[in-house]
Amino acid sequence: MVETLFSGLIHGGVYALAAVGMSLVFGVTNVANFAQGSLVAVGMMTAWWVGSSLGWGLVPTILAVVLVTGLVGLITNLLVITPLEGRQPIAALLGTVGLGQVLDNGMQLIFGSQTRPFPQLLPTHNLHALGISFGTSDLVMGLVALASMAALWAFLTYGRTGQAIRATSQDSQAALQMGVPVTSIRTIAFVIGSVLAGIAGIFIGLFKTNINPMDGNAIGMTAFVAAAIGGLGSIPGAIIGGLVLGLAEAVGVGLFGDGVHDLITFGTLLLVLILKPSGFLGRKADMGKEPMTGTLPEAARPIRLPLWANLGLAAAALATPFIFSDHLAGIGTQVAIYAIAAVGLTLISGSAGQTILGLAGPVAVGAYASALLTIRLHWPFTLSLLGAAVIAALAASLLTFPVWKLSGHYVAIATIGVGAVMVAIIRIWEPLTRGSLGLQGIPLPTFLGKPLYTQQMQYLLDLIVLLLVLAVISRIRSSHLGHVFEAIGEDGQAAWSLGIRTGAYKALAYALACGSAGIAGALLAHQYTYIDPTLFNPTMSTLILTIIVLGGMKSPTGAVIGSLILVGAPELLRILPEVRIMAYGLVLIIFIICRPQGLFSTKRRA
Amino acid sequence: MVITSKQHRQHRGTIRAMVALMTTMAMAGALSACGLGGDKDSSEGSSDHVTIAAIYPKTGLYAEYGKMFQQGFDLAKDQVNKKGGIQGKRLDIDYYDTQSDAKQDAAVAPKIASDKSVIAVVGDYSSPASSAASPIFQQAGLVHYGFNNSSPTFTNSGDHVWTPQISQKTYQEVNAEAVSKRAEKISVVYIENDWGKESFQYFKEAAERLGVQIVYQSSYLPDSTDLTPILIPAKNAAPEAVVDIGYGPDGALIANTLRDKLDYKGPFFGGQETKEFLSLTGANAQGAIITGVFSATGTKDAKAKAFVKSFEDRYHTVPGNFEITAYQAIKDLAYAGEKTSPTREGIQEALSKVKDFPLYQGQGGTFRFNTKTRRADTIKPILLQVDQGKFKQIEE
Repeated sequence: MVETLFSGLIHGGVYALAAVGMSLVFGVTNVANFAQGSLVAVGMMTAWWVGSSLGWGLVPTILAVVLVTGLVGLITNLLVITPLEGRQPIAALLGTVGLGQVLDNGMQLIFGSQTRPFPQLLPTHNLHALGISFGTSDLVMGLVALASMAALWAFLTYGRTGQAIRATSQDSQAALQMGVPVTSIRTIAFVIGSVLAGIAGIFIGLFKTNINPMDGNAIGMTAFVAAAIGGLGSIPGAIIGGLVLGLAEAVGVGLFGDGVHDLITFGTLLLVLILKPSGFLGRKADMGKEPMTGTLPEAARPIRLPLWANLGLAAAALATPFIFSDHLAGIGTQVAIYAIAAVGLTLISGSAGQTILGLAGPVAVGAYASALLTIRLHWPFTLSLLGAAVIAALAASLLTFPVWKLSGHYVAIATIGVGAVMVAIIRIWEPLTRGSLGLQGIPLPTFLGKPLYTQQMQYLLDLIVLLLVLAVISRIRSSHLGHVFEAIGEDGQAAWSLGIRTGAYKALAYALACGSAGIAGALLAHQYTYIDPTLFNPTMSTLILTIIVLGGMKSPTGAVIGSLILVGAPELLRILPEVRIMAYGLVLIIFIICRPQGLFSTKRRA
Repeated sequence: MVITSKQHRQHRGTIRAMVALMTTMAMAGALSACGLGGDKDSSEGSSDHVTIAAIYPKTGLYAEYGKMFQQGFDLAKDQVNKKGGIQGKRLDIDYYDTQSDAKQDAAVAPKIASDKSVIAVVGDYSSPASSAASPIFQQAGLVHYGFNNSSPTFTNSGDHVWTPQISQKTYQEVNAEAVSKRAEKISVVYIENDWGKESFQYFKEAAERLGVQIVYQSSYLPDSTDLTPILIPAKNAAPEAVVDIGYGPDGALIANTLRDKLDYKGPFFGGQETKEFLSLTGANAQGAIITGVFSATGTKDAKAKAFVKSFEDRYHTVPGNFEITAYQAIKDLAYAGEKTSPTREGIQEALSKVKDFPLYQGQGGTFRFNTKTRRADTIKPILLQVDQGKFKQIEE
């Protein structure tokens, strides 16, 4: 047991180092930087290149990494983060998602795709204690984590720039009035965050020994979880969070095997947030508002089409299955299914103003529910589709129940946990779900007992379901309930003081969103005829959220347009296979910068 | 007043809506001649070329495998065309990058199915992604040749879904036998996915039948970065050997952790016959035993030796598992088309009838398919051992 704890501590050090930069950027810019992991990978790959190809030693390597990541941080900040300043933080978040894709795929183009050994800049296995070998590298890593924490603390407490950074993070308006050059301060903080990420990359490379240019994604996610556990914005918190996560994983995995890995990682996140709603050392000040939604002046209003136009568009859409080729209809099914999941999300993330990051969980529950209902209980497809909606909504509501007492960013973060835990449970619950083996032979969707076996038939079905979901969601939006959601999103405090129980209504809006996500999952399951837990990954969650941000957070019709662009366009970008995904990331960034209110919304005049 | 005007507007809107709806429905009706029946057969067979579609990860997480596949594909295609193509028709390969992502497989499959010059499909890298496309090919009467899809349920999607992958039952029996000759008490770790779980079950059955005692077992997730927590108990159970059922990069992580961190000195079974595995493990791979399908240096089969030579001439590197299976997939389909006709029907017919597909992997010779399972259960795996940074084929 002692050796397990010890190895957990070392691994926790890795998490801590990656989490520090994440937490700093978050504290100052209020942006959850999803490209932080990619910046770590930039540092790692730079160190690999100068360390192995050029044979540089540790110190020049560190200097090179500092230079490169500092520069990359500066450029990306100027091109992506600064233009998004003052806009909805959710837009900045998605800007960083696009940025991450550009960095990851760019590095793969530059360095090639193979996994490779990291140069031994420091001895990695020269010391022994408690039955485990570790290296000078691990000790130096721990020291670097502590030293960077101390240096940052001193800098933030005593340095003029540091004080300006803190002032900016506490109240950027007030700081501006006191003469703090807020934009430059944010740039400095972002560059420091990037450099920290780069240095973390060197030590993570030494720890992992084998690295790949695409490693950034996974590193970023665990760093984010560690930073959230410790309390976002708190540097010592990031270190504590990293160590706690490392220990929890080591003990849990040691006892139950690595199959429960995700359950432990995200279960720990949920547990900590429930017991300690702003992480171990998070500031209470974060708790007041949901910072991921717009403040009034920049809020957007969805474009509303007259009824005849809506019906005309619907009819035109319904005509497309009759004229589309197999290829277009095939893309159409994917566009429609993702649109169904996204339309529901506009209620909770758009109207009620609560960002949801883990929607792949309910999609998975819907997919498995419908598949199992038809395979095991022989329910007809139409019934199982409805069953999927109900089960996904119920399961999500149950798991999310303790989350609604959280506030600020922490609800959104907790929903990442909920989504991941749902998929982890599906993986573990083998007698029912066959776990990692996946479910095969899911029957095709049927209509009046007849299987829908062509792409056009399935596409028509998906369209009809999409239109029904659109009708229901639009109806809710214009009802009294919809106005309540809207009120909560506009000003939660005011709504609360009017006697509206904001948590309960958010839970209801979330359940509705999960219901439509469940329907989308069921349609996917019956059209793929095979599902397993790997299909429902964080990329799916981010994609669905990106769809509604692009379309206009509150606009159900916008969600359809968003899906058309984000699911349909990559298929059209096939002419440039190598740079396809990079181009996708670039397009995403440009869209978000040029039209932050979404494609299908207008800016509301204050 | 406001209310009435609004109502009035709504009323007018409804009329317009009805008109719009009816116009569109009329349009749809007129178009429904096209119907929902899918693309109609156009002329085929008149053209001077045929196509095999490859769905594979050119970009993304699995791009490295996609690169190895493409090398095998291209080499096989050029060799086929040099010998006059398939029944005189030039063979083309259409490449579709899917990132081995099910969503993209499902989106691209109908396009492939509706291209009448396509006579068969090879790929994708992972079984879930492949399986999302299978129903579409099945319905189009198009052979889906999942040459890398060893998932035990892969061929269940229909009678046009085939895989030449050695079944895991055969594979793990050979593996367990090799283990049983060297150890009586073992710790086993396996990758947590459909392939790993099924393989482990077969391995366990075979090992227990052979009197091998499994003293520790655990699965691990493919993207885990630190496996020390499961390898500590695996080592502490005092096994005579540690067995890993997984792939290359994770196998390297396990070998490195066991040797470097935990000072484990006993035998190790696992890893993958790729250059990547060797470069990632370095000296830690010394002595590792791998149940594999191909050894570029050890093979005694004349055609396989010829393949290795032409591969090295063209790419200046030694082919491994992924290159040979990709190469073999194109060769199989070309052979099938040559024996019957280079059409969708011809390929399907040949896969069940032809009994002498040239076999480049394993022990060489020829193989045929089991028409019930649509798997090649006559292919036998081989044993490889890492020695001085090279794979050596060993005979038992």
